[in-house]
Amino acid sequence: MTPSHTASSPVRGRRHLARRGVEFGLDHLIALPIGCVAALVWSNTLPESYFRVAQALAFPVNDIGLVFFFALIAKEVFEATAPGGALHSRRRATMPVLAAIGGGGAAIAGYVTFIGWIGEPMLLQGWAVALAVDVPACFVVGRLIFGRHPAIPFLLLLAITSDAIGLLCLAVLQPADGAHLALGVALMAVALGLAVVIRRRGVQSFWVYLLGPGMLSWWALLVSGVHPAFALVPIIPFFPRAPRDAGLFVDPTPQAHDTLTRFERWWRLPVQGVLLLFGLVNAGVPIHGLESGMWAVVLAAVGRPIGIVAATGAGLIFGLHLPQRVGWRELVVVGCTASIGFVFALFFATAVMPMGPLLLEMKMGALFTVTGGGLAFGAAWLLRVGRFAR
Amino acid sequence: MPRSRRFVATWLLVVLAVWSAGAQQATLPSSPESVKFAVIGDSGTGELPQYQLANEMAKRHATFGFDRVLMLGDNIYGGQAPQDLVSKFAKPYKTLLDAGVRFYASLGNHDSPDHRLYPLFNMGGRLYYSFATKNVRFFALDSNKVDAKQLAWIEDALKNAREDWKVCYFHHPLYSNGGTHGPSVDVRVAFEPLFVAHGVNVVFSGHDHTYERLVPQKGIHYFVEGASGQLRKGDTRRSATTAVAFDQDLSFMLVEVAGDQLSFQAVSRSGQTVDSGIIRRQVRSGAGASAPVLP
Repeated sequence: MTPSHTASSPVRGRRHLARRGVEFGLDHLIALPIGCVAALVWSNTLPESYFRVAQALAFPVNDIGLVFFFALIAKEVFEATAPGGALHSRRRATMPVLAAIGGGGAAIAGYVTFIGWIGEPMLLQGWAVALAVDVPACFVVGRLIFGRHPAIPFLLLLAITSDAIGLLCLAVLQPADGAHLALGVALMAVALGLAVVIRRRGVQSFWVYLLGPGMLSWWALLVSGVHPAFALVPIIPFFPRAPRDAGLFVDPTPQAHDTLTRFERWWRLPVQGVLLLFGLVNAGVPIHGLESGMWAVVLAAVGRPIGIVAATGAGLIFGLHLPQRVGWRELVVVGCTASIGFVFALFFATAVMPMGPLLLEMKMGALFTVTGGGLAFGAAWLLRVGRFAR
Repeated sequence: MPRSRRFVATWLLVVLAVWSAGAQQATLPSSPESVKFAVIGDSGTGELPQYQLANEMAKRHATFGFDRVLMLGDNIYGGQAPQDLVSKFAKPYKTLLDAGVRFYASLGNHDSPDHRLYPLFNMGGRLYYSFATKNVRFFALDSNKVDAKQLAWIEDALKNAREDWKVCYFHHPLYSNGGTHGPSVDVRVAFEPLFVAHGVNVVFSGHDHTYERLVPQKGIHYFVEGASGQLRKGDTRRSATTAVAFDQDLSFMLVEVAGDQLSFQAVSRSGQTVDSGIIRRQVRSGAGASAPVLP
């Protein structure tokens, strides 16, 4: 070993460690929980300054920044429809879709029943929150429990479907008046038409898609009363993509240079910043009493695994199949994992309920659903599933 | 006991009894031209205590002819069917309703939004609205859901109000020392700058099932009256912002506005006055503001 080697090794080691740390943070979306914890501390120590800042940042973060987070999620879903992807064949997708419908139905039933029992009809408006499943959190928890396993795409498809149903409900629940809706539809038509033209001209830069059709789509959703955070969801399918899908949330190979992959590489880090701010702006709730809205969201999350297992059972009776190596025990763990609403529940709550004490109660419930991760680990340990299998 | 001592003792007892009766019946000025109203919050249980408090209100109405009642939300607990509106509202306040007293509701978290259409709540189908009488304008707001549309409406309505007194009421308190709920700081951050900028004088809220008068905040007088049907005994966590608190029995408020003076009285179910005072209005650079309470 040369002297220069001995001098540079610790530095190189530290750099390597830092790089690994950043990679881990990116993979496990660490920025988000950091933002949430900061928000909880701030809102419970200096609530007035917290709410002043949070209310000022709510629009830029929730309605603009989050566009790119949902775009990355949409990218994963869109790629999954390519050959090799989890959504490529209808046969593979049917069972998780059915499980999502069952889970969502049971979650809504849990939510509505509790509201009826406690007698707080004002909270009924928030029922769509019951459908929220945190896709990235499910991925992280699922991977930690199962490793690489067919249960993971099943879980993710289930989560994505549940959210898609929820988003559809949000769009239907909050329609704009006739004139605004017509303007929104017209703008969206222009956005999609422009995206077709750009695609046909073989434009490879994702910036052109973002600044042209993307911005028009954002405006269209805003005037239509649909949450503008989904602005890039209808535009993503027009981005040139790789011919085959490597799998849900699988990092692209270094050789991949298609538009969609470059979009993901460019936005991966900024989206972490968005998630940090999202946690900071939305997760601040005063912890001095556990109110009804919180329990309603928690009970919805408890209902979901029951619905998932019941719907899958019905699917099996009607001749559908579970993925290989996924049995009842794995299904229970998948159901428990899918009870994590976290970011998506926070987002749904802000989309469906205006600012006020009821929103705070629901946000508290959304935060509480992260305990679904612990529940999933507990179930996996009890049932000897995944990393706990003998 | 010597005769003189007995005389002094009897005299003291008489004085004490008269003073105590006076304290219990502490009356408001009841000027013929003044604006008189009552305030109730978290009332709609349909249980005996609510009826008892309603009877006390009716008794007071005979001597202090208030013509309206502000309802601070949670007007109907539990079932929200038409028969609940009868047993938890129309029946307990029948005497007042028959006497022509009008109730103006704001809604709480336990109320159905559909109740904005209930004719006896006088909400005109709206979750937030305004009405005026003489020199007082009232603003019933919706603290359950504070959206940009409502905030714009409040700003506009406050700006255009020409009355001397601006009184806002809604369910969730901006300031409260209630142990169970406490203040809704997020709503405070949204509402308070508008209240301060446009000279709101007095704010009534419920939600915490106690009575509390707070030390004026930024020139505004805040009251919590959430014990007109529900009660959380001993729930007040007194702090530097508490002026007076009462959490031992149900209560309601009587208020009278005459010129630049607002007199208030908080009355318990047994008819005891648990708090009273006067607020004098001061004009501050275009926006109305009020002087400290003189109990």
